[in-house]
Amino acid sequence: MTTATAGVSVADSHDGNEAHRTSLNLSNMKVAMWLFLASECLLFGALISTYLLSKARFLTELLAGNPIVEASIDNPGLVREMQETGSVEPLFDIPFTSFSSFVLLMSSLAMVLAHKAVSEADYKNTRIWLATTALLGSIFIAGQIYEFTAFKEEGLSFTGSLLGSAFYTLTGFHGVHVSIGILMLLTLLVLSFKGKLNQDRAETVELVGLYWHFVDIVWVLIFTIVYLIP
Amino acid sequence: MSDTAVKASADVVDDAHDSHAHPTETQYWLVFLILAVITAFEVLWSYLGLSGPLLVVPLLAMMVVKFVIVAGVFMHLWFDMKMLNGKLFTLAFASGIVIALSVYTVVVATYEFNV
Amino acid sequence: MAIVERPLALPEGDLPEIENPLGAFSRPHKETGIKDWLTTVDHKKIGIMYGTASIFFMMIGGVAALLIRIQLATPDSNFLSADAYNQLYTMHGTVMIFLVVMPIGAAFANYLLPLQVGARDVAFPRINAFSFWCFFLGGLMLNTSWFLGGGPDGGWFNYAPNNGVAYSPSNGIDFWNVGLLITGIASLSGAINLITTVLNMRAPGMDLMKMPIFVWMTLVTQFLLLFAIPIITTAQVLLLMDRLFGANFFNVEQGADPLLWQHLFWIFGHPEVYLMILPAFGIVSEVIPAFARKPIFGYPFMVFSGVAIGFMGFGVWAHHMFVPGMGPLSVSAFAVATMFIAVPTGVKILNWVATLWGGKLILNTAMLFSIGLITQFTVGGLSGVSHALAPSDTQQTDTYYIVAHFHYVLFGGALFGFMAGFYFWWPKAFGYILNEAWGKWNFWVMVVGFNLTFGPMHILGLQGMPRRIHTYDAAMGFNLWNLVATIGSMILAVGVLLFVVNALVSLRDWKNAGRPNPGPDPWDARTIEWSIQSPAPEHNFDYDPQIVSVDDWWYQKYAEDETGRLRKVAHGADIAQPGNGEGVHLPAPSYWPILLAASLPLLGYGLIFSLWLTIPGGFLLVVSMFGWALEPADDLDLAHDHDDHDDHDDHDDQDDHESIVETASAEDTALVGDAPSPGDTA
Repeated sequence: MTTATAGVSVADSHDGNEAHRTSLNLSNMKVAMWLFLASECLLFGALISTYLLSKARFLTELLAGNPIVEASIDNPGLVREMQETGSVEPLFDIPFTSFSSFVLLMSSLAMVLAHKAVSEADYKNTRIWLATTALLGSIFIAGQIYEFTAFKEEGLSFTGSLLGSAFYTLTGFHGVHVSIGILMLLTLLVLSFKGKLNQDRAETVELVGLYWHFVDIVWVLIFTIVYLIP
Repeated sequence: MSDTAVKASADVVDDAHDSHAHPTETQYWLVFLILAVITAFEVLWSYLGLSGPLLVVPLLAMMVVKFVIVAGVFMHLWFDMKMLNGKLFTLAFASGIVIALSVYTVVVATYEFNV
Repeated sequence: MAIVERPLALPEGDLPEIENPLGAFSRPHKETGIKDWLTTVDHKKIGIMYGTASIFFMMIGGVAALLIRIQLATPDSNFLSADAYNQLYTMHGTVMIFLVVMPIGAAFANYLLPLQVGARDVAFPRINAFSFWCFFLGGLMLNTSWFLGGGPDGGWFNYAPNNGVAYSPSNGIDFWNVGLLITGIASLSGAINLITTVLNMRAPGMDLMKMPIFVWMTLVTQFLLLFAIPIITTAQVLLLMDRLFGANFFNVEQGADPLLWQHLFWIFGHPEVYLMILPAFGIVSEVIPAFARKPIFGYPFMVFSGVAIGFMGFGVWAHHMFVPGMGPLSVSAFAVATMFIAVPTGVKILNWVATLWGGKLILNTAMLFSIGLITQFTVGGLSGVSHALAPSDTQQTDTYYIVAHFHYVLFGGALFGFMAGFYFWWPKAFGYILNEAWGKWNFWVMVVGFNLTFGPMHILGLQGMPRRIHTYDAAMGFNLWNLVATIGSMILAVGVLLFVVNALVSLRDWKNAGRPNPGPDPWDARTIEWSIQSPAPEHNFDYDPQIVSVDDWWYQKYAEDETGRLRKVAHGADIAQPGNGEGVHLPAPSYWPILLAASLPLLGYGLIFSLWLTIPGGFLLVVSMFGWALEPADDLDLAHDHDDHDDHDDHDDQDDHESIVETASAEDTALVGDAPSPGDTA
């Protein structure tokens, strides 16, 4: 058996329940993935608006001089800076986060190149680009861990303040999504080395890619909304 | 979504092998460069010391452009749009975004402006 | 591709040794017995399990309701403590909404969608099983809170800051959180699965505008779930962080605004209302044409009004929040939107009545329940429109008027619709017809009990009796109608029990009569699920039905003669598919869905009681995910007789996170580089 007979058409491929036809001639998996991503929009939308509202409430109370809220950040200097600028900007390290954003954008490029390579049966480049994607994703996660540690030292804790709860939950949810993506990429890489990721499975790479790009898109939003517009 | 269109296009659309419609490697690099440049502009803009709508509106605009480019090129929506599958996916994804955008905008608005 | 000649799946007897995924289990093979039910991926069995589990949970919710009514029967009653009362009304609402009405809708969707679109199963059969077990085990976990420190006590909506540890120190609300997060996973995966099935697996010729109304309504329902569930998930994650990990999302002291909870909850909560009623609308839209002997009046209007309800359902949530305080513009906007959503609902009522008009009505039990839905839902709909008037709503909020309203739409609407569906599709699912005499008793006792219970609540509410208060003073003038409502609730309980009795009596009579087969089409009905044998054979369709029109099955049986009158040209029993499954290959059962689902409550208990407990849960989670992913969607030994079996890229049955590993299942994958260029130039 070779895969020569395999590429007839997706519509007559076998999926265990007589998918000799699909009404729209699409792959079930791809439809499902797009539906899942559509659903994720609502999840991240809720988290982003929660962050925005919580930040607004936090700043209002902080600027009004609410002592409990002032004490919720364990760093009087930072609190004063926030009160002076009327924003949470003093907390952020924009050059560092810009670098993280660039890394994640770069990983999206690597991801499409991996898909391109596998659909052209260029398995060496598939592996190179899959590994690059996973590596860049890991750099992003490492950056996030560093950032969390730095913020914690600056006095922003998860349990201490409303701002901390909202910030860590939003970026943490995104980080978990990236981590799951890295696991999927590594699995693809293992499969590729075992020779089980050939051209006919290009769609599998495409599906992981869709997820990966979506996570990247979410970071595009977070970067602008959370970091650049404080 | 018209189902007669579905029938008509079903013959020509072959979902698994639509990659021929996708951009070349060079084009991907080019798109990435554009994204990187926009990101650089975003950071630059945030350092100009502007505030209010002058700060926010261009930043949001650049964000939307990046969003559209990643979804359109990297997630292939632009290229698949001509085909049925792209339309369907775009429709599903877009309805998610539209619903999210509208409900959460309303929530934030009821707070911010107490209308 | 030609139809593959293969033995039927799930054979019994001696089988060749198969590969054990992870070496842990051999693949389940049994066709009968408990093991089969635990491992099945058959959408019909899963649908039946959804229904059975819902009725089990309905008993729990029903007992809670009766206890509440006994407490309220007399003024100043001490039958229940205030604390017990809080737990009972919270759990009554939560159980009835999340574990009864929603899953009965899922039961009908699971059983009927593939049959009505002419598919062999859903798009992802194992995920379907996973969805069911998530729902069932999540629901069980929620109900263990009764024994582990007390149930949740903040109402089914659990408003902040009442849901915080300070005001609800028991673990009840944590159970509510975790249990509903798990059932949320079930709803979401089910939604993705069913939408894919409807969009992608319709029989040849079944255009979107030729789908049965039930399929349309379920499609809208699943889209509502797809977009609403992530919102409640977010809200619950925030609450979980607050309660278990000390976050501050609803901590007013730290400046948080508890109104955020209400927004998130009701952005989910209002679509939720529609996704509970739309399946019932779909059911009666099938039952009424069948027994009025007429096609549904205004098919496109029925479809588009359903879609409109779906979209507008996301635009009216804040009418639950007129009282907590929003600006005048918000209130006006949401009041207007709420009035508008009555329009598509009114369109539906009109179309049902117009379908009945001039029809040769057959008033059997299914039809009676459908008419019951139309009348009682209209009552509930009208009281609902009165909530759209913000000043009036301010008077009604948190009174029994609201309780009356939503029971008229959810019990008198959704549940009566489901009862109609039970009576209508029972022979298709179980091979025997429910007794009509018992059925009529069932209906009339329920109607009388229902209206006696909830009718007086309109009056009580307008008199000012508040909800969620465990007792009332004798001098407030609530005594008479409360007593009437309690008596009504007892009658209603008897009515519901009559259904169970009917199912058992009918089964006994059927067995005594020598198990006569009702035939494929006992009602002379309209849609293609009646073109296969009863009970539906495991493989559903012997061959793909070719769909020409809406109500395709009806037009196979009836045609116009030269004078333009409809004449019966064939009997259903003669032209139905014979039920010969030879050559059909079905997805194989699997242990992994139930194991993966079982890991989630374990993790939940870990979150609530001790993080150490998450270790076994997490271990089970990882093992089952990899076991699932490495297990081919089809049985290997059955698969191997067919060459290009596993080499395609669209395996049917993988979670998106696991799809990548699934490729490992290709037993005979060629080495990398071995593959000649496939039809890339298509």
